[in-house]
This record gives sequence, structure tokens and C-alpha cells, in this order.
Amino acid sequence: MLNDPVNLMSYVVMVFKKVLGFDETKARRHMLEVHEQGRSVVWTGVRETAEAHVFSLQQWHLTAVLEPDEKQAR
Amino acid sequence: MKSKRVEVKLSLPVVAPLLDVIRELSLELEKTLAAPQALHDLDQEFRGAWIDELLQGQNDDLKALLALFGGEFFTEGVVSFDETNAEPIVRACTAIRLQLRERRLKSLSDDALETGDIDMEGLDEQVRKAFMCYLFLATVQELIIQHLDSSIIGS
Repeated sequence: MLNDPVNLMSYVVMVFKKVLGFDETKARRHMLEVHEQGRSVVWTGVRETAEAHVFSLQQWHLTAVLEPDEKQAR
Repeated sequence: MKSKRVEVKLSLPVVAPLLDVIRELSLELEKTLAAPQALHDLDQEFRGAWIDELLQGQNDDLKALLALFGGEFFTEGVVSFDETNAEPIVRACTAIRLQLRERRLKSLSDDALETGDIDMEGLDEQVRKAFMCYLFLATVQELIIQHLDSSIIGS
């Protein structure tokens, strides 16, 4: 997930809960990570599921990207 | 079980002029994603289908937002949110806000947009109207997120 200057913090938390099934604490932690560090890895796993999550996040207009897991790629 | 519904009374003279801005931006977004996405990792055919589906969803959401301002709004100033329109409207508000920043509010810094610390009197009329629209849509989002429980939105 990449930061954007438009979306409300409450909106991002809501989307993380809805799309990724996070609880409030985890959703807030990732939201703050995106806000303060510009990005946060919100999910890792098999590609098909990752694609589905990215698509859902993009439906909510969040900037989500797919990246290979560097540890596994080695 | 009765479904939850939230009714909000808006100031007609304040909100009605903002609808022109929302309609204009909705038209601009018919063929453009509000948040362009980097999809380099997908093959071309899949990427096309992916973008088409995002665009279709975006357009459906924008229709839900525009439908909010129907007869009851113009006679009573009232709009209502429920389980059928809440999510599309929250998404559409974000789409319009992203487009406002990109196309109408370039002269304002991201810090100013985020804090709202802006001298409204010093703004050009068009920018002021766009910024009011930006704030109004954020308020709509907050209302929906705060007042509709998790059975409707949020989890």
C-alpha cells in the first residue's frame, strides 16, 4: 500500500478492515505506517489471492501494488 | 430485522451549487480512473480487463452518489444512506476528491488540503467552490463511516 494525501484516516482503516479482514488495531497500525512511512506491506501470500486483494483495494481507490516477496525470490 | 438508515438534512443553498462540480467531475471520470494504478506486473490483456472492471465499478459508484441528490434533497434538503448505497457513495466521494485534487486544487499544497488550513477568502471563486466540495464530500464520508455500523460497512 502506498500513501496518498487525499484519503481520510478513518476511510483507510475502514477499507483495511473490510478488504483484508483486519481488526481495528491492526488496521490502524498499517494505516499509520502508510501515512508516516509512505508504504506498508499489508498482505503476503500466493499471487492469485494477492491480485484479488490489490484489485479490491484499488476498487476503493487506494494505491496498491503487487510486488514479489524478496525473501522468497532469492 | 429492520435495516439501518441514516437521514441527514443538508443546507440546500450551500450544497446545491456544489452538485455542478460533482457532476462535472463525474463526467471527467467516465473513462479515467480516479487513482491511476501501476499494473506493470500484469499481462496486457489482463490489465485491460482489470482497468475496465475498475472503471465500471467507479461509474456505478458515481451514479449512486448522484442519485443521492434527488427529489427529496431538492424539496427537503434531506439525503439518506442505507446498506445499499453507503459503500458506493463512500467510494464515489473518494473518486471525486482525488479528481478535485488532481484537476481543480493543484494550486493548494497537500498539507493545506490535509489540515484544511486555508484562507477561503483568498481563493479564486472556482477554487473556493472546488475546495468546499472537497470538504463536503469528506464530511459525507465521515458521516457514513461513523453512523452506519459494521453490519453495513466497515468489516
